[in-house]
Amino acid sequence: MTSNVFIMDNGAHTIKAGYSNQTEPRVLLNAVMKAKSERRRPFIGDQLDDCRDASGLFYILPFQKGYLVNWDVQKTVWDYVFSKEIFNVNHASTTLIVTEPFFNFTSIQEAMSEIFFEEYEVDALLRINAGDLSVHKYHRDRPKELCCLLVDSGFSFTHIAPYIQGKKQKDAIIRIEMGGKMLTNHLKDIVSYRQLNVMDETYVINQVKEDSCFVSADFNADMKKARLKPPANDILRDYVLPDFTTIKRGYLRSLEESNGKSPNNEQLIRLNNERFAVPELLFRPSDIGVPQQGVAEAVVQAISSCPEETRPHLYRNIFLTGGNCNIPGFCERVYSEVRSAAPAEYQVNVSLAKGPTQYAWHGGAAVSQSAQFPEQLVTRDDWEESGFSACSAKFSV
Amino acid sequence: MASRETGRAKETGNRRVLDEAGRRRRARKALEALEQDNFHEDPHANLVMSKKAPKFEELLDSHGRSKERKRKTRSADYFKQRYRKNFAMLLEEDQLSNPDGPNYLTAQAGASQLPERHLCAVCGFPSPYNCVACGARYCSTRCYSTHQDTRCLKYTA
Repeated sequence: MTSNVFIMDNGAHTIKAGYSNQTEPRVLLNAVMKAKSERRRPFIGDQLDDCRDASGLFYILPFQKGYLVNWDVQKTVWDYVFSKEIFNVNHASTTLIVTEPFFNFTSIQEAMSEIFFEEYEVDALLRINAGDLSVHKYHRDRPKELCCLLVDSGFSFTHIAPYIQGKKQKDAIIRIEMGGKMLTNHLKDIVSYRQLNVMDETYVINQVKEDSCFVSADFNADMKKARLKPPANDILRDYVLPDFTTIKRGYLRSLEESNGKSPNNEQLIRLNNERFAVPELLFRPSDIGVPQQGVAEAVVQAISSCPEETRPHLYRNIFLTGGNCNIPGFCERVYSEVRSAAPAEYQVNVSLAKGPTQYAWHGGAAVSQSAQFPEQLVTRDDWEESGFSACSAKFSV
Repeated sequence: MASRETGRAKETGNRRVLDEAGRRRRARKALEALEQDNFHEDPHANLVMSKKAPKFEELLDSHGRSKERKRKTRSADYFKQRYRKNFAMLLEEDQLSNPDGPNYLTAQAGASQLPERHLCAVCGFPSPYNCVACGARYCSTRCYSTHQDTRCLKYTA
């Protein structure tokens, strides 16, 4: 019997979900949200589109520090994803691929396997690191390459994971505790301190971050430029905040229009060094006192803890995935920093995933077509025979 | 005759200075704040909701559904009770079961080799000076006075 394969990349901020034969996954927030304006009901996932006024949005997230802890919230969101409103999943005839973070805790793995087999009663399950899926696709697209150094920069943290011939090197994986959530919260903090109190507006400020931040190619030069007055300073911009009546979503004004004036009484915030000082935290967490390496430093460190003969291959195959890689300039910055730190005889190649957020999901689609796929699965029969030990024997996290 | 000393010297003598431990505590608190999901309280916290009132869609098909399903699905609350473990507990459990790694703690990135950058706590630009009282960076007298008026030694519990 060939069953449908449903792939769910269960991220801490968004779920990327869909059947393996879809061309693109559906991306929806992995959260239950409450709005000030709508008192009757909470919003689950992309139900938020129905919400007219998202100011002061209150998030209830299933994840904490990147690991699943609030099961009641997660169950609510999953129920919604599987419901007939979205995918109408018939679990009994469905093989499910679900992702989990590196070094996922054992009791979370147990709980997850139990929920899918006992509660949703899926036909077969594959629990896997999102990174494994991405690397699988990377190698399928580039069959000649032997190794891959994966950088997965998400909402909660950034992982640097070396893979040698498709095998993950667990002892060389590095986690930097800097992710999209920290960036948004930091931007919220500094805007609130310097201009306008936006501490309650996580949702809006996240959009501000996505619309206006970029990774600086030369931090000190950009800092110097940001000190100057407008004609010489091409970083300074006005951001028009949404008021949820006429302006549904905020937007960044172009350089010419950023004059600080609001003829129609729009609310503005001025973004200057904030635009690049915020994503800079990924490269220098020490700027806000996190005593850790930045992305490029960690890449070099992770590679140097792998066997010497694999290093040239790893330097040649640095691959960036995860939502933060959408920030313009990210790829170039990783390249220039790694290039200057790596030994000169090694060739350095950094590539950015097409659609860094959805890439792991596409990896899942690729895995489901591979010849080894049936062997990777834990089926209903396996589960009923030996329970969680069947999962721990087959799945590696 | 009063002793000859400047007013400034007197002022520095009884100025309150935050010690190293206090500064570290403050920095840690600031980082913890960055981990928060929300800054404000639940806007619906004081709302009394009647859970029994069904929504429209539920009313329409609840009849057919109850026949279809043999077993009542467990409520979300069940899962809350069943897997109640917070992050700290999970971490501790992981340390006990797998102390040598590689595990969550061993994967953490080490300290950076690069020198720390000094950025103004007020405006974010490179800053050469330190606040004597609390250790925050500032770049100019203007930022310094803003810092003193707003953050310096305030909210220290």
